Amino acid sequence: MNLTQILAFAALSLIVGLACAWDRARVRAMRARGWVMLAASVVAVYWLQSSSPIRSLDFWLPTASIGLTVIVWAAIYAPRRAEWRAALPAGAVIIGIVAFIALTRYIDPLCCVTPTRPPDIVTVAFGGVIVAALIAGATLLFRGRTRWLNWLVLGVIAAFVILKLDVATQALSAVLRGLNGQDMAQASALDVRWLGFSYIAFRLIHALRDRVTARPPAPGKPAPAGLTLREFVSYVVFFPALTAGPIDRADRFVKDYRNTTVLPMDTASVVAGVSRILLGVFKKFVIADTLAIVALNAVNAAQVNATIWMWVIVYAYALRIFFDFSGYTDIAIGLGRLFGIKLPENFDRPYLKSNLTLFWNSWHMSLSQWFRAYFFNPVTRALRSPRETHFLPAQGFFRQPAFIILFGQVTTMLLIGLWHGITWNFVVWGAWHAFGLFAHNRWAEFARRRNASTDAEPTPQSPVRRRVVTVLSVVATFNFVALGWVWFALPSIDLSLTVFRRLVGG
Amino acid sequence: MLGKALFLFLVFNLIFILADPAAGLGRVSAYNILFPGRSRLPYGDHPERAYNVSVLNLDAMFASHEIAAGTKPASEFRVLLIGDSSTWGWLLKPADTLAGQINRARLTTADGRTVRAYNLGYPIMSLAKDVLILDRAMRAAWQPDAVVWLVTLESFPADKQLFHPLLQNNPAPTRDLIARYGLKLDPNDPQFVTPSLLDRTIIGRRRDLADLARLQLYGVMWAATGIDQDYPADYEPAAIDLDPDDAFHGHKPPAFGDADLAFDALAAGVRAAGKTPLLIVNEPILRSNGRNSDIRYNFFYPRWAYDQYRAAMIAQATAQGWNYIDAWDLLPMSEFTNSAVHYTPAGAKLLADRLADAVTQLGKISTP
Amino acid sequence: MTTEIRTALAQYIAKEILQQPKRVIAPDAPLISSGLIDSFHLVDLGLFVEDKFGVRIDDAELNKETFDTIEQLTAIIVERQ
Repeated sequence: MNLTQILAFAALSLIVGLACAWDRARVRAMRARGWVMLAASVVAVYWLQSSSPIRSLDFWLPTASIGLTVIVWAAIYAPRRAEWRAALPAGAVIIGIVAFIALTRYIDPLCCVTPTRPPDIVTVAFGGVIVAALIAGATLLFRGRTRWLNWLVLGVIAAFVILKLDVATQALSAVLRGLNGQDMAQASALDVRWLGFSYIAFRLIHALRDRVTARPPAPGKPAPAGLTLREFVSYVVFFPALTAGPIDRADRFVKDYRNTTVLPMDTASVVAGVSRILLGVFKKFVIADTLAIVALNAVNAAQVNATIWMWVIVYAYALRIFFDFSGYTDIAIGLGRLFGIKLPENFDRPYLKSNLTLFWNSWHMSLSQWFRAYFFNPVTRALRSPRETHFLPAQGFFRQPAFIILFGQVTTMLLIGLWHGITWNFVVWGAWHAFGLFAHNRWAEFARRRNASTDAEPTPQSPVRRRVVTVLSVVATFNFVALGWVWFALPSIDLSLTVFRRLVGG
Repeated sequence: MLGKALFLFLVFNLIFILADPAAGLGRVSAYNILFPGRSRLPYGDHPERAYNVSVLNLDAMFASHEIAAGTKPASEFRVLLIGDSSTWGWLLKPADTLAGQINRARLTTADGRTVRAYNLGYPIMSLAKDVLILDRAMRAAWQPDAVVWLVTLESFPADKQLFHPLLQNNPAPTRDLIARYGLKLDPNDPQFVTPSLLDRTIIGRRRDLADLARLQLYGVMWAATGIDQDYPADYEPAAIDLDPDDAFHGHKPPAFGDADLAFDALAAGVRAAGKTPLLIVNEPILRSNGRNSDIRYNFFYPRWAYDQYRAAMIAQATAQGWNYIDAWDLLPMSEFTNSAVHYTPAGAKLLADRLADAVTQLGKISTP
Repeated sequence: MTTEIRTALAQYIAKEILQQPKRVIAPDAPLISSGLIDSFHLVDLGLFVEDKFGVRIDDAELNKETFDTIEQLTAIIVERQ
């Protein structure tokens, strides 16, 4: 989001948040809020998408985001006639908006919400028919076959891999160019940049997996009501969190969504929301963008010729990525607040933590939480359950806590690395943190065993000593993380090694 | 609460307008303290690649230059180089510019002082701009022992003296120059920028302030990389084949009028140097042998205009007793890069060699 | 009932996770946000709760938002039993 877009969304949010004072019963106000949220989010999917050299892709990718979301909704809830009827207004609004965006092609003063002119209406209608068929197919295919949803999860992961792996993205670009009658030799991985897909995909996987693993309702209690189409689409493509998270949970989101006491917004909430946005704008557009001048990047990594300055630009990168990302999150959370949605926090002073485990509990929290919920915990749980499987005996090396911890941490961190892009640098970055976490874990275990004989609390230390130890731990943790960014920030292992050599005086 | 914030904001802006701290801020600089001063005045069309940014604040420009560091060592023979982009060193690394080449030669004066050249060139072709920089440099506490001023005809047209934002946005010092040296320029020229009240608020000044901050931050990258210019992988070489056009800035042959060229600005520069020995150099130009080279020397100059300018310079130098070197034909075509006045490192070396004697001779005129 | 659950949880955490059997853990002491229980042992705690009280804590619920103290975990167990 640029400043204009942020301003537009903030103004919209404020109007909705404040303009409902006339409606004492809040019913109409709440309904209006829901529709505005849906409409703004759908428009945002198109508006925020960047252009592509592949013709009309900046229309089709947002359309795919919306279409995929509706398909997943249909697959999860397998709606019957009555439910479809209930979803009709939301469906009509979504179709109406998409159709309108497509029609701006013919209305010059309004053209275009998308960066380039949308395709002609016949093509759009054809695309619409395909999406509709997929939705209908999903409804029938997954009805009563909840476990099959796992295939859909795999499908989303496959799409994710294609978009994150440059070779595959380039091949996809070639295919799309071919379909379009464009020069395939020009295909590049940069052609297909699907706005927000990283986050959309993870929200969808979360919704699908939660459906698969849902407990049957306790006897006598009704099954919890699912999300309506309007709620689900609003959740998945909620415009403040569309481009850079946080990754909310659907059950948490609807709690706020259905909360009728949020309107009209009280002064405190408005002030909180607006000041959060301003804080974010300041962090992102003033601090981070300024730090960017001196922060490590692919160009200056090879140019710096002195150890001390290399440290400076590595630290600058560490601060920049924090202010950039957390500033962006502040803006998202602030915008959400103005709509009465309390998006989850993503950062909790991560650079002031005294060990790597605490760092990962406070950095991009919604992502690490997601990986814990849908990867680390199930894997660890499976390995810890004293059940024999055809993969694993009930006992032995693979059941040792140390192995399980190492395995869980390494695989989780590698996946978190790969989530950013399928490159060796992100793999090494993930491994860097995995082994850091494992080392810290072993150290903590060692300290624990040492204290095991003693009673109660660990032996108290003098406050001064404790303070010194804390400060040193924070400094060491920050440096470990900052050096880790050297892998993250650069495109090749060689370049990262060059930076490391320079950092140690080479 | 909102009212209070608004009130404070207004008061703050009022103070900002009255105090105009942006001007004074230019003197606050981390250059020469946290990181080394720049080898040349800050200028950058692509800051993110050049680690350099153009600013309009003269104080900030000079404060970021290495000449503003510390005091002059007793053994130094301090030479200021004034000129346009060719002196500044377009496409040249700092060590390859004329100043860099002179320093590399480790010249010594007769009394044993080491020649140390400072690059005060700036990529604008206007003598008034040269005088503005020279005048400032002479009045600062930098104790120059000599000045070398490189000029070319393109800096002379009277009507383009004020064409650049650097002069237009520094109306006070430029008007001061006009008054003190009697320059034939209009102190009320509409090109001068008079900021409105709104422009003088912190909001109006935000770009200037941001530029000052960026100049400081790029200092880190300058220190870290030694890069202060965007060096494109390849560039369009200077034109050899020329248009059959004999006009120069609207002037047609056979002759310039009396007021067409700013010889008054040249005289002002000589006065600005004062007692400090001054060497004036007519800088090398590309002499094309391509199409229409019988009409023009190069992209800039029709032959008639340049020949006439050169003759006038020699006549003036003789009449006024200037230290003058005409190096116009010093370099072969192969030593020019993307313009008829931008030379290669080897070209800069040739020019430095050509000037070496004259520069060391300046040491005889100057008292240590 | 509540007290028994609390005691059982506190004992399990002290003995099996912290390996300091005599350590007393207050019912309102933060477990996850303080780093006292790491993500690995959190899964163990979940397995223990399932085993001992027959209450399943989902993978997506093993976080400080769902429960951060013995008190909060006890409330969940009681609610689901």
